[in-house]
Amino acid sequence: MSKQFQFKSVSEMPMISVSLGDMEWNKTGAWRTQRPFYEDKTPPCSAACPAGNDIVAFIQKIAKGDFEGAWNIIKEENPFPGVCGRVCFHPCESKCNRGSFDEPIAIHALERFVAGFGSRLSKNTGKSGEKRKEKVAIIGSGPAGMSCAYHLARLHHDVTVFESLPLAGGMLRMGIPSYRLPREVLDRELSGIEALGVKIQTGVALGEDVRLEDLKNYRAIFISTGAHRSRGLQIPGEKEKGILGGLDLLKRMNLGKRMKLGDKIAIIGGGNTAIDVARSVIRLGKKATILYRRSREEMPAFAEEITEALEEGVKIRYLVNPIRLQQKDGLKRLECLRMELGEQDESGRRKPVPIPNSNLRIDVDHVIVAAGEEIEASFLPEGLEKKEGIVLTRRDASTGIKGVFAGGDLTSTQRTVAHAIGSGKKAAMAIDAFLEGKDTEEAIVQHLVGEGPSLSIFRYLHPGERPRNPHIVPFEELNMDYFELAKRQEESKRRVKERIRDFNEVTSTLTEDAVLEEAGRCFGCGTCNECENCYVFCPDVSILKSGGILSHQVDYDYCKGCGICFTECPRGAISLKEEAK
Amino acid sequence: MNKVKVPIAENLGHGHLACAGCGAAVAMRLTLKALGEKTVMVFPASCWSIVPGFWPYSSYKITAVHAGFVTGAATASGVRAALDVRGDDETLVAVWAGDGGTFDIGLQALSGAAERNEDLLYICNDNEGYMNTGTQRSSATPLLAWTTTTPVMQPKENPKKDIMAIMADHHIPYAATATIAYPEDLIRKLEKARSIRGTRFIHLFSPCPPGWKMPSEQTIKISRLAVRSRIFPLYEIENGRFYTIQEETRVVSVKEYLKIQGRFSHLTEKDIEMTQRNTDDAWERLQRKARC
Repeated sequence: MSKQFQFKSVSEMPMISVSLGDMEWNKTGAWRTQRPFYEDKTPPCSAACPAGNDIVAFIQKIAKGDFEGAWNIIKEENPFPGVCGRVCFHPCESKCNRGSFDEPIAIHALERFVAGFGSRLSKNTGKSGEKRKEKVAIIGSGPAGMSCAYHLARLHHDVTVFESLPLAGGMLRMGIPSYRLPREVLDRELSGIEALGVKIQTGVALGEDVRLEDLKNYRAIFISTGAHRSRGLQIPGEKEKGILGGLDLLKRMNLGKRMKLGDKIAIIGGGNTAIDVARSVIRLGKKATILYRRSREEMPAFAEEITEALEEGVKIRYLVNPIRLQQKDGLKRLECLRMELGEQDESGRRKPVPIPNSNLRIDVDHVIVAAGEEIEASFLPEGLEKKEGIVLTRRDASTGIKGVFAGGDLTSTQRTVAHAIGSGKKAAMAIDAFLEGKDTEEAIVQHLVGEGPSLSIFRYLHPGERPRNPHIVPFEELNMDYFELAKRQEESKRRVKERIRDFNEVTSTLTEDAVLEEAGRCFGCGTCNECENCYVFCPDVSILKSGGILSHQVDYDYCKGCGICFTECPRGAISLKEEAK
Repeated sequence: MNKVKVPIAENLGHGHLACAGCGAAVAMRLTLKALGEKTVMVFPASCWSIVPGFWPYSSYKITAVHAGFVTGAATASGVRAALDVRGDDETLVAVWAGDGGTFDIGLQALSGAAERNEDLLYICNDNEGYMNTGTQRSSATPLLAWTTTTPVMQPKENPKKDIMAIMADHHIPYAATATIAYPEDLIRKLEKARSIRGTRFIHLFSPCPPGWKMPSEQTIKISRLAVRSRIFPLYEIENGRFYTIQEETRVVSVKEYLKIQGRFSHLTEKDIEMTQRNTDDAWERLQRKARC
């Protein structure tokens, strides 16, 4: 602190008007009417990620070339980056602010690259000797069950997973063909979870081999048995022999069972299962025709999957609906009605309306019904409340039975891998809180990403670290002056001719150069990346550094509150509030 | 996005009296970072007679010499001569004058020093008016702008004086335009100027929130829009002849620049169109010069 001079007489003054001291005594902070402060906010991608990935944090690591750091951040929230990088429908990208500027960041491709990098790192195993806290049973080894197991193991619980099928992975293995998700990727990520001490018992079915009463010595149970039963069409002839459900067909193929299939195959439905079946059938050298009762716009399958299917020679007939199925000498005849689109239904899509007397017949060798899946309720324990085809859970994933939690496709109509992973994580947090005697709902509410429903288990494990205001940064709060247009890096795909010959993966991982470039495109919404604009442009030398690094502190003794740092922050990581009067 | 790199040294201290969001304070801070402590800076009357503090205080960490309004370049010539007598050829002699002290009141002294090719770096901090005394017009005030002496009923009737053309025609070794939204460009030009002998001139464009009637947090934004709209293009002139333009790829209309400033709020669509035409015209002339 510099001093102010008090001259008692002229003789004390210097002979010429030379300055004697600095102005540090003049605390210009007193002028301030508004106060800037550093505050990381929530990027729209993370808030949109059902699995709760801290997307900007891992992309910033990639941008610095720290792939291991990126891997560690992803693994805090999600044990399945290799799976998600391939099969997730990436809602994060549709919410990406960069989409309002040029094109969204290829987040899934970055995640996929990091997963590939991480697979080459040595595994942090050897925790088997560690003393575990409580025994928890998980029924179902799909993405929900395994995500729950992973996080509970990280929370030091003793976890056993029961799986009815001979192999673990649930829908990831049974429902997703290997050209989308290579089995070695799935196996690697499952074994990564086992390496944390999670035990998996396959071939043990709930209700048959094990009952809820047999699991008395487990302090908590998580049920995530999925939705595996193919939903029917409710038309005459459907129950006849030789009519297969879409998922049943995929399951057989994925369990390596042989099947006899004719040449011409009709697939009924417009969802991802229908597309997966059609593309698989094409790979077996057959002709696949999808029959869908609405138009392409209303198809619930992901747009990119539809495009790839069409490229591969899958035919799609829109606006036809089967009303009867007949069989003669192994041949199948589908009687259909043409449809037209009417009013919007409760799903927001236009409803198909039959055109009277528009009957047409389609002759095929096989009919696969892929009109959706539903849960199998017969083996579920009594006391679980069900409604509209799902098991009801509370906000903390708990059910009507004390200590029994449920998640995944069983409890939701949003049946995606990412939602399943997120619900498993939620249950893990709730189960840990339950076992610790804490308020489970509170545990969930306290760790939402943005306004939820995404959750951060990192924040549950590390209270106070990487704090973020739940405010989701919109495009308007970013400063585009600091960004140049740049093309999105796309993953390359195998040529159609080659890829329909086998079940090998269609898309390939980005190169390291492409990944660095793509990560450099990220705006980093709401997250300081030390670009130092605030420091460079401060007229009052009031942005503090320590040891040459931004300290994220403002010198309020001198900051006049002009707001330049707030405006020039490219990513909305500085807030401004009115100074208390 | 890359980190902006500026020298670490801080040669402007806390507690100075610049208004909140002062563009010139950003300019001064960056300039003193670039020029370093071994600098004597001469200040003819301007905001910078008071901004660093009043006697007996100063927030500069360099040697500052305050001078009369007309005498910036003349005083600097004298300081240079005195240092030469002492055999100090390391210390840089610079002038920091406002547009009033350069375009108007200090022009003859500047012209004289430039004609003699005095070894000094003359920085004109242009905020387009006499802002320190209450926003009177100067010959740097743009056409149609409001000031207290060119009120809305009768806004400025004359276009801004082309100081760069005047300096180029003195055939000085180096002249450049710069502004705070481009700190790396500003610092590069200052460092380049520092390395040259003879008269060097930097036309430094610094938005003034109170004088331009704009919010204090928009200072950098306006500085950038001035370049993007080509109201204030960035370029260098060597030996009065060789022009190099630092072209901004993202071009915006002058309207984008004008509309956030209260001093232009009275402009009609026609006025804006005329400003656009004048700007396009000046840009074309500049490009022609750069091509020769």
